[in-house]
Amino acid sequence: MLIRTYFLVIIMIITTHFASAQSSVLDVGVRLQKDVGLYSENGVAISYSDKGLLPDRLYFGFSYFTSRLATAFNSNAIKQDNFLLSSAWYFRQHHVLRPFVRANAGYFESTYPEIFNVLPHKSLLLSSDAGLSYQTPLPLKISASLGYNFIYGQGNNNTPGTLYPVFYQVTLSWSILKHTK
Amino acid sequence: MRKISVAIVVVLLFAGCNKTPAIPPGDLGSGQVLDPSLADPAAYRISVSQPNPTLAQTQIPVIIACHGYSASTFEWDEFRTWSQGRSDYYIDQVLLAGHGTTYAAFKTSTWHDWQSSIMTEYNLLVKEGYKNINFAASSTSRTLLLDILHSGFFNNSTTTVHIFLVDPIVIPSDKFLPLIGVLGPMLGYITTTDAQGEEKYYYHYRPQETLQQLQDVLTIVRGELQDGITLPANVYLKVYKSTKDPTADPVSAVLIYDGVKTSNGNPIAVDLINSNLHVFTRLNLVPNATALDRQNQIYAFTDITTRIF
Repeated sequence: MLIRTYFLVIIMIITTHFASAQSSVLDVGVRLQKDVGLYSENGVAISYSDKGLLPDRLYFGFSYFTSRLATAFNSNAIKQDNFLLSSAWYFRQHHVLRPFVRANAGYFESTYPEIFNVLPHKSLLLSSDAGLSYQTPLPLKISASLGYNFIYGQGNNNTPGTLYPVFYQVTLSWSILKHTK
Repeated sequence: MRKISVAIVVVLLFAGCNKTPAIPPGDLGSGQVLDPSLADPAAYRISVSQPNPTLAQTQIPVIIACHGYSASTFEWDEFRTWSQGRSDYYIDQVLLAGHGTTYAAFKTSTWHDWQSSIMTEYNLLVKEGYKNINFAASSTSRTLLLDILHSGFFNNSTTTVHIFLVDPIVIPSDKFLPLIGVLGPMLGYITTTDAQGEEKYYYHYRPQETLQQLQDVLTIVRGELQDGITLPANVYLKVYKSTKDPTADPVSAVLIYDGVKTSNGNPIAVDLINSNLHVFTRLNLVPNATALDRQNQIYAFTDITTRIF
């Protein structure tokens, strides 16, 4: 009962906050990523810019992408999952085409058969990417970027071997909370 | 291959410099140092020293020992030395095409050329009558053999084939290798760090063209593994993989394990070796080889020469 009350209170706070957030932005979409030299990995992405904190310029995001939804789907490729939190800065506010830079941190895990448990299969993710975002006439935003993982497998550094340094990604997102002024 | 990431930085600083290395006379690739199997093939290949085997000799297992990218027959010399006095199997050391001679010959060779040396030697031994033909393949030779398996080369073979893969490479430890197609023409070649003496047996300067070939075959074989390879009933496969490897990422063994199944659908055999060496079976010229390294080497040699029977 107590938990339900807390839950309802949190929902009310979030709803009230968003209802008054006339220029906050919440984008939800799909992320399509390719590790240069290895797998494609697809998933979801969410990004949020608050009206009280450099709105529509500073974005915070979360994304999850996995080879399970791309190269490893119905194949013997290694199944691996990426969880990323990010902070991004978007330039040229009110323009259709906007450059952005982003810093990311998160967690990587690949799934191996049990006999390979001795090999590294988990890692911290630290990366940065930069690219362009295109705002279509619809609430649809298309963002593409080239990125670099600062932590990647080198065969002898206790980092999973399928964690590659260079990647590029495209995110197609729908603005679900952007209110017109 | 190990230093591509460093080379990328260097090339940005020195783009436009001479792209053909000046190779010291004592180095492999200079043209003055050749693989010894070229001058005396009978000392390395049973197909040359014993081209007309007796019926009894045809039943004796032959192990075709294949070296890796940029290496030479030297890579399996210790196996021959360790096997001295054994008459119950033969060792046949193959020199891959483009290797063991000049930089120019290496530069113009393709992975198909490298692979053809393995298939040619196998076909020659079959033609001569040998019935039990096996492979001990290190590094890139393993990749070439997996592509041979995928092609169905052994499907109609009447011989028993055991394939032992030592430190196979599907995923390189140098994760910048996939960029060689873009950066290679600017780089020209890659310089590697060798231990003293290795320059006589390994190409110290590696043409970017051959690195592109390496990347090509790695990509192709990774795709073949993703699709799945089923071994013919007469083929046995085992992988030995160092748990740390500066050249062939250990995760390569996972891709092979997931991608290859025996004829009845079972997993293949894999031994993870507690080592940080690439091709842990070659210790000659390895600085500071430990007692554990020697133990690992003897374990692999013993296991290979036990399983062929």
